[in-house]
Amino acid sequence: MSDTTLSVEAMDDATRSGLKRLILTLADSKRLMGLRYSDWLVGAPSIEAGIAVSSMAQDEWGHARLLYAMLKDLNVDPQEVEHTRPAEEYASVDVLDAPFADWAAVVAGMVLVDGAITVALDAFCRGIFDPACSRIPKMLSEEEFHRSLGVAWYKRLAGSGSEEAKDLLRRATEATLPVLLRWLSTPDEVGSKLAAMGLTDSGETQVTAFQDGIRALVATAGVDVDAVEVATDPWDERRGRGPGHPEEEAVERARGDRNRMLFVE
Amino acid sequence: MREHVYDVFARKNRGDPLAHVGYVDALDDETARVYAWKTYDEENWFEMCVVRRSAIIPVNRDDGPFAGGRSEEP
Repeated sequence: MSDTTLSVEAMDDATRSGLKRLILTLADSKRLMGLRYSDWLVGAPSIEAGIAVSSMAQDEWGHARLLYAMLKDLNVDPQEVEHTRPAEEYASVDVLDAPFADWAAVVAGMVLVDGAITVALDAFCRGIFDPACSRIPKMLSEEEFHRSLGVAWYKRLAGSGSEEAKDLLRRATEATLPVLLRWLSTPDEVGSKLAAMGLTDSGETQVTAFQDGIRALVATAGVDVDAVEVATDPWDERRGRGPGHPEEEAVERARGDRNRMLFVE
Repeated sequence: MREHVYDVFARKNRGDPLAHVGYVDALDDETARVYAWKTYDEENWFEMCVVRRSAIIPVNRDDGPFAGGRSEEP
């Protein structure tokens, strides 16, 4: 954590707008991550694994709620952000746009997607935005369990002797990494400005931290993280991600549309 | 993939006796750790531990609830 902090009042408009994008990117990614975990309460390989991913889904939604609440510091109404935006406005990381296809993809998601979000959170936590410094450490401690479970399962699938399991894991890993490496690198002016202001780490630093954390593990599935080519499809600077968006059905679930009329305050 | 039975022990406060709160089936020590923490999370535990049932050595009887664990291992 930095010794100095930066108040919202002291920020220029561009910094404030960039900070809003960073918070939304993290919060939306957490919300979608939770949604994707929740799909596996039923269908995981064991009851214990189902309970664990269900609990992780709760963690992710709790983290998302805390991150959305940070928008209040920027005079943005979190309620509106959480419940009124269409899918096209979601700033979640691209690889969460579709559900995980199988358990190997869930495991790759725990280690790689959840792991990349954690690298980004850690960088934000060590920056100079006080609400992030104070609220994120608990999230990071909960994420240690997500990583432990993901790593244990990843090693199991890679070393099980089942070529099918290893192949599914390798394919999920190869499909995910190009997007995550680009996402963490935040290749635009907003990313550079936030890093220069000390609000988060540079994209390069985040990518290096991420690669260092997974290099040995993904090698067990036959993937060389240093040889992965970063995604090259267009970058949406407004949302800090690639093109596309989560499917509408997922966003309806995230917003709670179906039973929203029953919500009583 | 073979799973093992792990018994879960926890205490709410420092100084409380460590109590048996349940068990999980897990692939290895690391998954047992996470499954235990995520399954038995109804309390704000001061301490939680897991032990593979096969590591428990019966002392005074061979028909207690934990006594059969050693026979599960190959």
